[in-house]
Parts: sequence; structure tokens; C-alpha cells
Amino acid sequence: MAGKSSVAAIYFAILGIVTTAFGIADILVTAGASEFAYGILEISGGLFRGGWGGVIVLFAGLFYLSGIRNFDDIHQCSKVVMGSILIWIVAGCDIFAMITESIPGGEDGPWFNTLDGFIGTYAPPYAPAVLLLPFSLVVVYYIYKRKQEI
Amino acid sequence: MKLTIDQRWDLIDKIAKQTITFGEYRHTLKDANGELTIKPFTGIPIAIAVMYAFWSIFGSFAGFFTDGFFVRLFDAYWLPWLQEVFPGQGGWLYAIMVDAGGIEGGEFVLSDNCLESFGVLTSGLFVAIGVVLPAIVIFYLMLALLEDIGYMPRLAVLIDTMLHKIGLHGYAIVPTILSLGCNVPGVTATRILETKKQRFIMMTLLAIFIPCGAQIGIMQDVIPGLMGWILLYLIIGYFIFGYILNKIVPGKAPEFLIDVPPYRRPMLSNIGKKVWGRIAGFFKVAIPFVLLGAAIVGVLYQLGVIRFLGDALAPVFVGWFGVPKETAGPLIAAFLRKDLAVAQLSVIEMTEYQMITAVVLVSIYFPCVATFAMMLKEGWKELLGAMAVLTVVVFAYGGLIHLIGILLGVA
Repeated sequence: MAGKSSVAAIYFAILGIVTTAFGIADILVTAGASEFAYGILEISGGLFRGGWGGVIVLFAGLFYLSGIRNFDDIHQCSKVVMGSILIWIVAGCDIFAMITESIPGGEDGPWFNTLDGFIGTYAPPYAPAVLLLPFSLVVVYYIYKRKQEI
Repeated sequence: MKLTIDQRWDLIDKIAKQTITFGEYRHTLKDANGELTIKPFTGIPIAIAVMYAFWSIFGSFAGFFTDGFFVRLFDAYWLPWLQEVFPGQGGWLYAIMVDAGGIEGGEFVLSDNCLESFGVLTSGLFVAIGVVLPAIVIFYLMLALLEDIGYMPRLAVLIDTMLHKIGLHGYAIVPTILSLGCNVPGVTATRILETKKQRFIMMTLLAIFIPCGAQIGIMQDVIPGLMGWILLYLIIGYFIFGYILNKIVPGKAPEFLIDVPPYRRPMLSNIGKKVWGRIAGFFKVAIPFVLLGAAIVGVLYQLGVIRFLGDALAPVFVGWFGVPKETAGPLIAAFLRKDLAVAQLSVIEMTEYQMITAVVLVSIYFPCVATFAMMLKEGWKELLGAMAVLTVVVFAYGGLIHLIGILLGVA
């Protein structure tokens, strides 16, 4: 178990550092009132998604980092779980916004979007929280393991 | 048969042995997560994330229905059809019911969208069904979810210290958040506060500084870029005037005890019942007032009352608040429905800062007539007191916002 928890601690330490960096980048880009895009990553300069969302991503990173020490302790583990929940909140909202944008046909188009337009909405680039989402799901394994132990 | 104290305790022991099962308590991950959401250091970031999700989903959902479908349905189909089939184009009934239109080059010109037509069957229906209904549905759905999960008591504990500064306590978050849906249930919910002082402060702050879901919905639709600033001004005002009221209103503001339940999986049937009950209330209270409001404002425009008031109050509007005199009409409409008033403001030509000021004024100027009636039900003395505070707040805060604009060079 100790070996497994040290693997978890290393994994969430790396994820915590990356998440914190993304959160800071989000806030800096918003403060500069500009947008940033690199490959499949896009950081919004908007006050809501970039600023407010960025603050939450930053908090998620800090939750990860504060929870990695003594990961076996339930209170420490819950901090890591909460870090992932914060990522799920921001990413979930981004994905929900994508879904609601992908269905209507736009102001001058048909009532509903074309298939190409619909699929195109889900194409990259993505916000940092969406990119972090699959990595944050690893915590589900540890929640499951903990339930098994009870 | 009368039992002695010892016999009673024996009886209690017997019942307890038969009914209670004792086992080892194990602290679960759910318990630990529950604790994290209450401690300020970790709970505040989580509350910030919950509020983010609330507004993000609210905006996406309301935008999906309003911008995606209702705007087109009303502007491209409903309005042109009514303009064609309703008899008496250019007449007063046509102007009140369908389209007040405008005069260009001495000729009557029809409006090309429902926000500018000002008719009961066009603007009135569009605001009520096309804009406000989706906003109200998603607002109450999210609220019911937070209630059923068990997050609301945690939010009450978290915000307790802050609300004590304005003479309230954590439970005041319930009427405040309910008011973000509709001020009417918000005013009713002030009864959960213990003292007259607390109820008066809460009712006054709700009536002045908390925009209802209908107003937020229309702001999200017509002035999304300015919404953050408007809400910021309202939140600041809520705390400044709450603090002042706490200092000048006599009475007590006691501490509160709250039982925080564990997190639970929400039940679909519970959520369905809650959302349906609240939306049915909206249909009964709000929609008739929106339509009535559109009709009364239409009649006042036709009689020239709005123009007269605009001219008479111009020195106050332009000089003190720094907004165009044309905002007199929407401010009168705001007494009937604030959402309708914001829709009317959105088509008046003014600078961004004037728009922020005008919408903040619409919010703080007077509670809508439904809220007014509800406050009257709670007591005429409280209503009179709240109105006196409101008058002072409108002039003081409206003037202060104008002054801030002048100092920043944007007014």
C-alpha cells in the first residue's frame, strides 16, 4: 500500500504543479486582456472563463499539492479528491457551453447546426481545465480503492 | 400510571436497547469532503467554484434557448406575422398590443425585433417566455440541486461571519439566493430570521440590491459584457448599506445554530417537484405582471406621460445620475417588471457607463409591484421603513456611481 500511495503522491504532485501553472497562466492572460493559443491549448482572456475559471484551476492545483503529503490519511486524500472536483467543475462547464453552442444553427443559418458545424465545435483547441480533465479522473481509482478497503 | 425519574430512565434504556444498533464509526471520504466544504480556508475556494458553475451553466442554458431559438422564433416569425394580421396599424391599440414603431421621414416605420416593438404580444411575450422562462428554469433547477445535495447549509456556515457584519447570520443566504430567482419567495423566506431587526434589514436589502432571475436573464441576453460590473456594484451596495442599516436599526442580531447534514445523492422526484412548484409560481405571479407592465407602459407612452416625466425629471436624471432623460420610461416600467425595464433600456442610445448606471438604478430604484405587495403583507411599518431607506439609497448610491464615473473619466 505504501508503494501505491507513493506512486499516487508523485502523480498528484506532478498534476498539482501543472494545474497550478495553468491556473497562474489563466490569470496572467486574463490580466493582460488577451488570448493565448498554443497547439491544442487555448487560454481565454475573458474575465469569466479566464479570470474566475483560472482562479478555480489555481485552487485545484493548490488542493493537489497540499494533499500529496501522507496521502493515505483520509483528510489528505480528500484534498486531492477536491482538487479533481474543482477541475471537473470548470471543465464540465466548458463542455456544457460547447454542447449548447454546437446545437443551434447560428443567427443567419438554419434552425439546427450542420453535422460538420456540430462536430467542429468540439475540435481543439481546448481550455486548460478540459486538457486536465482526463488526468484528474485518476482520482476515481483511488476513491474506488478506498471504498473497497472499508 | 405515574413513573418516577429512575423508572423513566430505565424505560428509556430498554427502548434504546431494542431500537438502537451500536457499531464502530468510521470516518469516510464523504465525511472528510464534507468537512473541507465548511472550513473557511478550503470551503471558500469550493464556494467560489460552485458559484462559477452556477453562473456558467445558467448563462449557457439560457443563451441556448434564448439566442439559439427564441430570438429567431419571435423576431423572424411571430413579430412579422402579428404586424401583418393585427388590424389598425399605426393606431393606439396596435401600438400597445403589437408595435409602437417609430417615425422616419414623417412616416410610420415598423420595428424589426421584439425588444424594440414594446407591444404586449411582442415585447411582453418575448421577455416573459423567450428570455425569462429559460433563465428561471435553470436557476431553480440548480438551486434545487444544491439544496438536495446538502450544500446550502454549508454555504450558510461559510458566509456566517461576513453576514454578521451587516446584522444578519448565515441563514440569510437562503432568502438572498431565493431572491436571485424571484424577490417574492425571497421576502417570504425572511421569516426564517429571528428578530424584527434582521427581517427588516434582509427585506430592505433584497428589495434594493438583489436582481431577480428575470432581470439577470435579460441582462445576460442584452448586455452580457456589462453584467459583471452591474452585479459588482450591487454586491458592494448590499454590504455597504447593510453595514449602515445594522448600525442605525435598533434590535438584536443573535447567533445561530445549524445542523449540517451529510452530502446526499439528490432525488430526481424531489428536484422535479421543487422546480415545478417554483416555475408554476413564476407563471402565476410574473407572466401576468410582465404583460400588464407592457400594457401600462404602452398606454403611458401613448398618453405622453413618459415624455412629460422624462422632461420634468431631466435635471435629476442627467445632472445627478448622469443618464439620458429617456431612461424615465424604463424606470416607470421597472415598478411593474424590472426585466421589461432592462429590455427597454437596452435600445436607448447611451455610453457603456451610462448603461451600467441605468441598470443599477433600475435594480435599486423600486421593488417590482409583486415584491411590493409581498412586503406589504409582511407589515406596513416595515414597508414604509424600507421605502424610506430605498429613497435615500437611490439618490446616494446613484449619485455615488455617477461620481465614480466622473472621477474615472468615463461618465
